[in-house]
Amino acid sequence: MKVFGVLAGKGSKRVGALYLTCQLFKIYFKLGTVHLCRSVIRSIETARIFDFEEFPKRDKVTYMYYTGRLEVFNENFPAADQKLSYALINCNPQSEANIRMILKYLIPVKLSIGILPKDWLLEKYNLVEYSNIVQALRRGDLRLLRHALEEHEDQFLRSGVYLVLEKLELQVYQRLFKKIYIIQKQKDPSKAHQMKLDVIVKALKWLEMDMDVDEVECIVAILIHKNLVKGYFAHKSKVVVLSKQDPFPKLNGKPVNS
Amino acid sequence: MERRHHSQSHSQRQQRRNHFSSSSSSSSNQSRSNNRFSFPKSSSSSSSSSANDVRDRRRETQEEKQEEAIVGTCPFMCPEAERLQRQRLRDLAVFERLHGDPRNSSPALAVKKFCRTMSAKEVRASDVRPLPVLEETLNYLLSLLDSTEHPFEVIHDFVFDRTRSVRQDLIMQNIVNDKAINMFEKIVKFHVISHHKLRSSCSSSSISPLHYLNLEQLTKALTSLYNLYEANRSSKPIHEKEAEFRSFYVLLHLDSNGQPVGESLSLWFRHVPSPIIKSKEMWFARQALRYFQMGNYRRFLSTVAAEASYLQYCIIEPYIDEVRSLALCCIHNCCYKLHPYPLGHLSKVLMMEESDVELFCNAYGLQTCIDEVGNKLLPTKQTTFCRPKGGLQNYSFLGFQQLGSHMLSSLFYNHFLLVPMKPFSHVDGWN
Repeated sequence: MKVFGVLAGKGSKRVGALYLTCQLFKIYFKLGTVHLCRSVIRSIETARIFDFEEFPKRDKVTYMYYTGRLEVFNENFPAADQKLSYALINCNPQSEANIRMILKYLIPVKLSIGILPKDWLLEKYNLVEYSNIVQALRRGDLRLLRHALEEHEDQFLRSGVYLVLEKLELQVYQRLFKKIYIIQKQKDPSKAHQMKLDVIVKALKWLEMDMDVDEVECIVAILIHKNLVKGYFAHKSKVVVLSKQDPFPKLNGKPVNS
Repeated sequence: MERRHHSQSHSQRQQRRNHFSSSSSSSSNQSRSNNRFSFPKSSSSSSSSSANDVRDRRRETQEEKQEEAIVGTCPFMCPEAERLQRQRLRDLAVFERLHGDPRNSSPALAVKKFCRTMSAKEVRASDVRPLPVLEETLNYLLSLLDSTEHPFEVIHDFVFDRTRSVRQDLIMQNIVNDKAINMFEKIVKFHVISHHKLRSSCSSSSISPLHYLNLEQLTKALTSLYNLYEANRSSKPIHEKEAEFRSFYVLLHLDSNGQPVGESLSLWFRHVPSPIIKSKEMWFARQALRYFQMGNYRRFLSTVAAEASYLQYCIIEPYIDEVRSLALCCIHNCCYKLHPYPLGHLSKVLMMEESDVELFCNAYGLQTCIDEVGNKLLPTKQTTFCRPKGGLQNYSFLGFQQLGSHMLSSLFYNHFLLVPMKPFSHVDGWN
């Protein structure tokens, strides 16, 4: 920290400050005292003596990588997206290991705002632990999501993305309901916007998820409340009535609102 | 060998230093080495330099002694000097007064008050209580929780302060064994129970200062406890109650948008040992977290009712209100207007007695109605829906029995323990 203070003062040496910051980050992360990063970040970002653009590119990428990770832990997805994307774009395309590290955290963030990676990306950088999750999101396969989370539980917990991935469940529900809607539309377009809760129960049973009508009603209510589904439900007739226009709004780069 | 041990940043050590208001272990190490080198080294004859060496070495061991933990020698719950002074100044709590006399106490009643120590040098061994005394002190304090003579706030205030002093004595003496763990677990239990009881007594929606301060100490004691578990990891891999106490941290942080008290959960989970994560108590906490974050009110409420232990319930209680509020909001806003929602069903969803459900709806500005058959209903999409301005009153929670206040102390003893009426009957010669 003393060295940091010295670097902050002298003119030509200022450039090294970011490098030092990144070293500090590495140490704090390894020691598990991540909360100490806050004061360092504050001095970099608020002190007028530092001009962020002056620093060498390599240090900027590393800095954005670590601060992006912090945003992921605090579940600030828009900020995390911005920082990690910056790191990815400016990272040396040759250093595959570094790109992999960035993607490891960027992918859960992108998933949370509704953007899915292509399969070749996961394969190229050996991030296959995410493949089933992406698949589950595409298919609305709740069982697959839960299974994937269980399979890689330790790994996800250690990297700190488990809680982020867990939250994707709501999007999987949305996708499932949309699929049921599409099938119904093919069978009878005039009645497609009405979905019986029993049909959803049946679909979930087929996925080996045991849920009663009350819980399905709860899930439906939550999806409507969070604007993942447009419509309303009728309690007595146990039916969801979907809006005729855009009943399943896309996330459009914003995380699911609470 | 000894010196190396002392310069390790042992977490207990760090906490002790925090008490003594020094910043970090590295800086105090620095000052120690500075002291060593600041003694003038005579460059003249060899005999005087060897004398200096001896002096330096003696000073080094003295400094090491300061870094070594104090061993307390106070035989009473309260150091004699403090008790006499407080008697003089009439600074005696209600529980410390002999026959209600504000000027008189006794060794059986007076308990050492919490006081921030300014520096390590000023603490005398005679003011610090050794482990057996601390154990008996704690047992005595916790037995007061059953008292029906005073309102809970008064009992809480006393036990809160005096247990804080117990914790301080433990840390000062660097006691990190199983017994310390046992004591910290009991103290955390006390704070959890207070968390629950203080909440039900405060009427406004804003958290009372007592409640907030209690939460602060709960978190501190919990953190110390986790450090103790870690410190004992080699001798005992997993303590029998560790899983439940770890689950408390998760339950305290269900709301990621709320005030972060300490590490975010994602970070915290990284260094929880695997057997703990797979434990039943942690599984419950993680389920609760999942349902809460998703908004699955149905599963959240039914799981809590079915699986929460009493202590877990105490911690999770504020979130129960929040989830019920969410449930009402969802049902009210998303349900078809022509199908009013039956209160009987709402009672099942909210895990609340039906009579309470009506009051609950009214608190949100909603009216209920009755159909031809006599069933009570909640019409949805009312325009008068609003958040309650004051706090919510206490509603029932189905499937859960409130613990009577006379049974509180039973929570602290797993096996049958005789609590002595006078903890220090073996000490002679007091008035």
